Amino acid sequence: MLLLIGAFTIGLILSLLAFGVFISFRIFAFPDITADGSITLGGAVAGVLLVANVHPVLATAAAFGAGALAGSATGVLHTRFKINGLLSGILVMTALYSINLHIMGKSNLPLMSQRTFTSMADSAAQRWIGAVSMQVLGWEVSSRDAGVFVFSLVAALVVGVLLYLFFRTNLGTAMQAAGDNAQMIRALGVNVDNMIVLGLALSNGLIAMSGGLLVQYQGFADVQMGIGMVVWGLASIIIGEALVGVRDLGFVIIGAVMGSVLFRLIVALALRGGLNPNDLKLITAGFVFIALVLPSLLRRFKRAPAIEAET
Amino acid sequence: MLEVNGVFKTFNAGTPNEVRALRGVDLTIDDGSFVIVIGTNGSGKSTLLNAVAGGFFVDRGTIRLGGADITSWPEHRRASLIGRVFQNPFSGTAPSMSIAENLVLAARRGRPRGLGWALSRSMRGEFRDRVRRLNMRLEERLDNPIGSLSGGQRQALTLLMASWLKPKLLLLDEHTAALDPKSADQVIQLSDDIVARDRLTTLMVTHSMQQAAQMGDRLVMMHRGSVIHDFRGAEKQRLRANDLLNRFEEVRRAEQLDESAADMLRRLYV
Repeated sequence: MLLLIGAFTIGLILSLLAFGVFISFRIFAFPDITADGSITLGGAVAGVLLVANVHPVLATAAAFGAGALAGSATGVLHTRFKINGLLSGILVMTALYSINLHIMGKSNLPLMSQRTFTSMADSAAQRWIGAVSMQVLGWEVSSRDAGVFVFSLVAALVVGVLLYLFFRTNLGTAMQAAGDNAQMIRALGVNVDNMIVLGLALSNGLIAMSGGLLVQYQGFADVQMGIGMVVWGLASIIIGEALVGVRDLGFVIIGAVMGSVLFRLIVALALRGGLNPNDLKLITAGFVFIALVLPSLLRRFKRAPAIEAET
Repeated sequence: MLEVNGVFKTFNAGTPNEVRALRGVDLTIDDGSFVIVIGTNGSGKSTLLNAVAGGFFVDRGTIRLGGADITSWPEHRRASLIGRVFQNPFSGTAPSMSIAENLVLAARRGRPRGLGWALSRSMRGEFRDRVRRLNMRLEERLDNPIGSLSGGQRQALTLLMASWLKPKLLLLDEHTAALDPKSADQVIQLSDDIVARDRLTTLMVTHSMQQAAQMGDRLVMMHRGSVIHDFRGAEKQRLRANDLLNRFEEVRRAEQLDESAADMLRRLYV
């Protein structure tokens, strides 16, 4: 049960990462590797501020802001300096590694007794249930786990709803169109370059916010924590699309949350079942590869008999 | 009013692929005039349209529209004055977005886009009314993604979108060339209707001599990056597709001479 709740909570926190990856990869078809650096950036900024006793809400907001800056940097490299999109992301990600070390002052920053959203959720849950633990379906669940889980759920839902609403505004629809058909939206008076910068800022802001929350959950920030996170987010998106389809943006956003949680659950179960943690990234990459290749393979298999039928 | 003055444009200047696409184009179009542009391949007619739309900046010359000098305006800024329909029916609409969302985008052409709600109930009513007038039964499919429509339907919607907010200038760039004959007829009819109803100042490039003869109140013929014929008023109305073909034949004959000789002959006889 502890394993499940933990996996659920991390999955929910990382659904913000999935939202960010959705904006860059799906809306703009922009393979933005900045994410690996910006999730750590968010963790570093939130961690340092929390150590300095800044309120967790403020620290998380600062993480968002820092990520947005990193995303804009990638966007400006790509649009103003005409650097290939992938390379822009790699440049910013590489630079962020040093920046993150500077922000943290060391490679690992533990959060000991600082007030974080975890401790706040813990005390709120204690007040609510009146004890330090409770029974859920016959399992003992601590108030900390229960509180953090509920908080993460609310956070993922609120951000998801806000994102959905954003893409229903004039600015949001223009951003979608900029990714869908740049020529068309330029002819309707929108500066596509600005939209890309803004989109990457929003994307990396969400990703950094995810990092800021993750640090508060796991109790430390680490300069290595971002490695492979883009692929992680992409896997979540792909699972989500397989689960609920892509008919409507609302489905995609809900799918991203579900995909993120499910992916984390699978990983947790696999690790428990004896998977060597060192193989985790290899298997994640393999999974995304298969998910990317599978649809076209299936189509080829489906098309072959159709041609026979025609002749 | 559109004023194109002495516009030059050379692509890939100084390389073996150098193309002198526009070589001193002068063209003034009065408000409410519907001008057809024809020309051989590589004559610069689409380049001229692109120069006006802002797809690139011209090397020399000025472009003024509605009293403003737009020569140095980027494409997205010119969009506040210009409505466009492209040759490729897939260029003018966002395929993964719904018809209604595409119309919403067009309804704010050239206007600031903030965090206001994009699609309101009252707008949907107006969308339905105006889409119904296309007679394509699309008004019941406002929430379908545009990517699921045919090229003709998408081109008709692009036309509707380009003219949603009355533009100072409507640019039609061979907008029926990629359509099947029936859809092309439909879109041409629609273009005529919309231009006439809103009295839009229009610049239309076409390959079809029939369209060139039947549509518009003025016809401009381009060759080698400049305007070589300009028919207006009664002269334009008398033009038939055959006359135009003959003109092309003349041009082709002149082509067989070298350029300076052709210029001389043109000065003497045309």
